[in-house]
Amino acid sequence: MAVLPLLLAAQPALAHGGVVAEDDLCVINIGYLKAHFKMFVPARSGHREYCEDIPLRGETVFVMEYLHDGLSAAPIDFRIVRNTTGKGNFARLSDIDALPDLDAVTVSRHPSAVAPGVYTALHEFDDDGEYIGIVVAQAGDKRYTAVFPFTVGDTGAGVWPWLLAAIVILQLNFWYWTRRRRRPHAAAGVLAALLLAGAHAPATAEEYSAAGDRFRVTATPSLQPLTINRMHAWDLVLTDDNGEPVSGARIDVAGGMPAHDHGLPTQPQVTGLEAPGHYRIEGLRFHMPGEWELVLTITAGPASERLVLSLVL
Amino acid sequence: MLAAGAGLLLTTGAWLAGQWLDRGPPSWSSDERRLMESLWIASLPPLPPDPTNAVADDPAAAAFGHALFFDPRASANGAIACATCHQPQRRFTDGLPRGVAIGRSARNTPSIVGAAYSPWYYWDGRRDSLWSQALSPLEDPNEHGSDRHTLYELVRDDPAYRRAYEPLFGPLPASTDAAAVDRVFANVGKAIAAYERRLLPGPSRFDAYVDHLSRGGDPRRQDHLDASELRGLRLFLGPARCTECHNGPLLTNHEFHNTGLLPPPGALPDRGRFDGLDAVRRDPFNCLGAFSDDPSRRCDELTFVRDGVELIGATRTPSLRNLGATMPFQSKGQFATLAEVLRHYNDAPAALIGHNEAKPLSLSSRELRDLEAFLSALDAPIAADPALLAAPRGYDQAPASGAPSTPSSRAAASRSPSVSTPRPGRRDGTATRIRMPSDSARSCSSCSNCSSGDGALATRRRKTPQR
Repeated sequence: MAVLPLLLAAQPALAHGGVVAEDDLCVINIGYLKAHFKMFVPARSGHREYCEDIPLRGETVFVMEYLHDGLSAAPIDFRIVRNTTGKGNFARLSDIDALPDLDAVTVSRHPSAVAPGVYTALHEFDDDGEYIGIVVAQAGDKRYTAVFPFTVGDTGAGVWPWLLAAIVILQLNFWYWTRRRRRPHAAAGVLAALLLAGAHAPATAEEYSAAGDRFRVTATPSLQPLTINRMHAWDLVLTDDNGEPVSGARIDVAGGMPAHDHGLPTQPQVTGLEAPGHYRIEGLRFHMPGEWELVLTITAGPASERLVLSLVL
Repeated sequence: MLAAGAGLLLTTGAWLAGQWLDRGPPSWSSDERRLMESLWIASLPPLPPDPTNAVADDPAAAAFGHALFFDPRASANGAIACATCHQPQRRFTDGLPRGVAIGRSARNTPSIVGAAYSPWYYWDGRRDSLWSQALSPLEDPNEHGSDRHTLYELVRDDPAYRRAYEPLFGPLPASTDAAAVDRVFANVGKAIAAYERRLLPGPSRFDAYVDHLSRGGDPRRQDHLDASELRGLRLFLGPARCTECHNGPLLTNHEFHNTGLLPPPGALPDRGRFDGLDAVRRDPFNCLGAFSDDPSRRCDELTFVRDGVELIGATRTPSLRNLGATMPFQSKGQFATLAEVLRHYNDAPAALIGHNEAKPLSLSSRELRDLEAFLSALDAPIAADPALLAAPRGYDQAPASGAPSTPSSRAAASRSPSVSTPRPGRRDGTATRIRMPSDSARSCSSCSNCSSGDGALATRRRKTPQR
């Protein structure tokens, strides 16, 4: 057991520098900034995703999907160099710094640019061999660098011992992470059950309502009959559990189609109306037939509750 | 014992015969019928008004826009008109994976037919009105490669254009300061939009079938859809999950979805709506901008639009009413045939960026063939006056020499039958099939290539494989 922390500490170097397979996800660590890292050779292997090595030579798409918002605003510089460090997959930033002329071994340089949401770059490899990717992100006044050695094309039997080692590490990693994650999962389940317990929403043709422990809401769409693909508003009447109208509440609207795992296509906004307990949700549109949920998070004074209106279109 | 055996044999025989005879769906459920009616062209609401464009429904503006649409002078080499890529005989597309004009566009040329119903334009939704969309290609270096000053001068110096412009938009400003030129530029877009609004889809064979059902007709006794198409229709409404996005009478929800398409060689994965939304918010010609004619600036779409990482790689759902003439398909023309498109959705592979919203369908190859057969029944002719599907008369010979183009005075236009707004999809389902313009349309859009004397470009276009 004592050996596990040691292995984990050593693991970034074994697993291609800054790129590591974490829990089924290929991750690049640029300082503390993380991104989902993947490589593709679309013309030759279509949608097949590579994490650490690319068995095919050709036009390669590099993708970093940010797991940290900080990267969306950070200028990112990406460079690919031939791995002439002699260190193979153990090459690190210090080995790069020791190279006499970085530009001489650079095969591709993508100048610094801000790429919100996701970073992509394209490079066509003409030769099989060992390469190193260098990603530099400028976050505020700090620079973070990730260095990841990788191979392109057929690299022969030399990789097998490393592959075996990687598998062992991955397996340990997997055990480690599954053990760590078990507890939060259970907690989330209980939380979700608690949240859902209070709300139910019998739907009628024109009016939708939901009642929880504290609030009761009745909603009437301005669009009758309710149809897809049209922007419209809903009028809400909010009462407390005694049936008294509640004014001045804050109502946040979310929702989507649970079966399709997507949210609303718009960002609706709620305004309070003059009549006590009356509110209006503007900017609603449903773009698919099927089961939708409108999730209202209602906060009035110290009381807060989440009500779900279910509708079928 | 013998009787029991014979009975069993008879029952089995009857069941098998029933299966064999049952070539079409035996009946449609009420849900399926409701869904079919929602896709029916007769359910298409009247064209929504565009309050940001005061001349949107003005016939004189449509006539002016019609002339501009076919005018190659609004381009850097005098050879590119809107109609170069939006060719009427191809449902206003060009048959190429990605548009070719001065250079090569980044994406596939979409159809304009029925576009006036959409709140967003371009595959990435980077414009929010038909008129603001019409402005972008004029200044795109790969498309028209022109600029707003050149457009201003064109309107100022062509007497027919000036006669068309001033009754609609007021006196042409004498000053060429940026604000005045921008105003004229926006108005040019508004006239083009007034023309494009009249290009609407007519009824398809599918619509004729729904019309037949709506009159209480037998689902099987009809000659609109064959057995394979009927099986395809059933898949379309249910297991193939097409109507999740291709819904409503235009068979599009006008929304943006990531469907895991591969980029073509040499291109990065398309960031799609994620960047498009940023662009439309910054567009000075958007609904909230100074050039909108709506004093209320009530812009629900732009105001309530949702952003976020789920828009990464999402592109706009295209209508399925123009499939017959608009291949190749998808935002970058990735697929030459519908069969390839359907295979892609059947597999629903993981996206390169963002994530593919589609889920694998596990349809058999026979089912995919049925679905493909049904899609051909959605193909709808254009329900517009045939005169709108060719360059305006008296115009097509003139432009390169700089002669005045079409007379577009309000009086002339209002007499013209070509500018009446068609109403598609009458409930009786009898809207006539429009004869596709053949020779006249072809000569007009090719004229926009050859009239300039730029033979090289015209030749290149003709040699481009028309897949």
